[in-house]
Amino acid sequence: MTEQILIIDDDIEHAQALGTYLERLQYEVSIAAATKEVLPMLDTSWDIILGNPFISDQITDRVEQVAQASLMTQVIIYVKPEVLDQAMERFGLKALDYLSLPINSKALELSLERARKNAFQIRKNNRYVERLGDLHNAQILLNQLFDVVPCYISVQDKNLRITAINKRFKEDFGNYIGGHCYRIYKHRKTPCEKCPVVQTFEDGKIHSTEEVVTSVSGKQYNVLTHTAPIKNAKGEITQVMEMSTNITQIRQLQDHLTSLGLMLGSMSHGVKGMLTALDGGIYQLETGLNQKDEPRISKAFGQVKMMTDKIKKMVLEILYYAKSRELQYVTKNVSDLVKNIVANVQPLALKNNVTLNIRIAKNPGKIEIDPSWLEAALVNFLENAVDACAFDRNKPEHIVEFVVEKPDTSRLWFKISDNGIGMDQETREKMFTLFFTSKGSQGTGLGLFIAHRVIQQHGGFVKVESEQDKGTLFTINLPRKRPEKIKTIVAGE
Amino acid sequence: MKKKILVVDDDPNILDYLESLFSDNGYDVVAARDAKEGLEMAKKDVPDLITLDIEMPGDWGPRFYRQMIQEPGLKNVPVIVISGLSGNAYAIPKAIASLKKPFDREELLGIVKDAIG
Repeated sequence: MTEQILIIDDDIEHAQALGTYLERLQYEVSIAAATKEVLPMLDTSWDIILGNPFISDQITDRVEQVAQASLMTQVIIYVKPEVLDQAMERFGLKALDYLSLPINSKALELSLERARKNAFQIRKNNRYVERLGDLHNAQILLNQLFDVVPCYISVQDKNLRITAINKRFKEDFGNYIGGHCYRIYKHRKTPCEKCPVVQTFEDGKIHSTEEVVTSVSGKQYNVLTHTAPIKNAKGEITQVMEMSTNITQIRQLQDHLTSLGLMLGSMSHGVKGMLTALDGGIYQLETGLNQKDEPRISKAFGQVKMMTDKIKKMVLEILYYAKSRELQYVTKNVSDLVKNIVANVQPLALKNNVTLNIRIAKNPGKIEIDPSWLEAALVNFLENAVDACAFDRNKPEHIVEFVVEKPDTSRLWFKISDNGIGMDQETREKMFTLFFTSKGSQGTGLGLFIAHRVIQQHGGFVKVESEQDKGTLFTINLPRKRPEKIKTIVAGE
Repeated sequence: MKKKILVVDDDPNILDYLESLFSDNGYDVVAARDAKEGLEMAKKDVPDLITLDIEMPGDWGPRFYRQMIQEPGLKNVPVIVISGLSGNAYAIPKAIASLKKPFDREELLGIVKDAIG
């Protein structure tokens, strides 16, 4: 880079001689000799101002101003030896150097070299200052990003200890810098298997997993986790950053959609059967009316009614499944509860020629339940018992027993037994699975699934004993009081 | 003499429907509620045509069909599949027709008439 020098000298010949000399040293030289030339030329910026600033007071002031204002402009003063002291007094450190006339060429060269070095240093400093400012801004920006990113971010060392976390992490998992990742995220005492952080430490690559983590408030979240290495200047992995995105809602929705899809698919078969039977009823009703065949009409009407009820029941089951709701607890007399249930099941038992035996322990007392759901659940178990008898053709007589026992003061046993077809092992294992049915087109695979869930939500459990061709015993064990944690029935749970 | 149709379906309401439909149209009808019962009835008294459901408790329709064609007397009895399963056309490829529930009454009667008069 060629440096630009302004020579201020009222001795034009001296200035020109000096200029020639400096041009030979590869400087770009401008000369201001006349007093009125000097001031405007001082308005442009120079690398070096060389000369005698004492031509006029105005020029002296202006040069002093420039020297003070612009770090980039180096001022070298030359004056007659007798005014050297005065010049130094006036300019002090504002000038880089003072030379006395006549100028010693060596001294001038050294001064110019010093000016060049000075300028270089100043430029370097300026660059550093600029970079530092950028760096500072970048850091602020990064910190902001770190905190506002809609993810949980933690930085972990080789021992899986957390060294930094972002705001979201703090909010949901607490401010545990120095704690172990697996303790904070999963309340575990040992590291998780297949930890992506460990894998990233090993191979330096990005790893991802899907995890279920537990927040400080005890809520469980599904998170999609990515890990990335943080390297030091030597390229060694010193820490690993773990970013977890909360995808709980997506997962819930997905699960729900999947099972809804599955349900509609599996149910379409049942629906088709019902619609066909409904067609049949309508056909019989139509032909019965044409033929004025009273018995046929009344039978057909019965069938249409039954199919409508079945379709209604199925639609209600779908609605139950599609909705989430809380149980509405009330305290009920056990004997009233049983009475209602029996009234619901009796017609089906009569129709299928099944004897229904009821036995209730003396003074059965009260129970805290959501009657509409619990009654429906117990009715479902009883209807299944009746169905199991109806499918069986090997025994002359079929009996369903409904027994209520009180094993202790806090619980009740509802025992439902039948001597129907019984279940093989597979059916026993899958009977509470969504959409599992052993009834072909007659079943939706929803009834026992929902019944079982209702029992669980009441804090109860179901024991099943069954032998093929002999019969089945369900023991439904229910607490009399509502469980401490009132669980919300969440679809797709 | 009236032609005889064996109806195999696990749904009693559908059995009832098919029984009325066929007898109203001049056929003799016998009904079976599962594959095992159907096979026994067919062996005892060979029908002119069989309508068969696919999904039933116990043996499914295709199993019934495989056992049926082992019987020399039953081998050539035409079978119409009536089922709610989608893709039921592939369940028994040799069936003369595969109808989906809910089926069209006139279509079914047409197929039966073409097959056995």
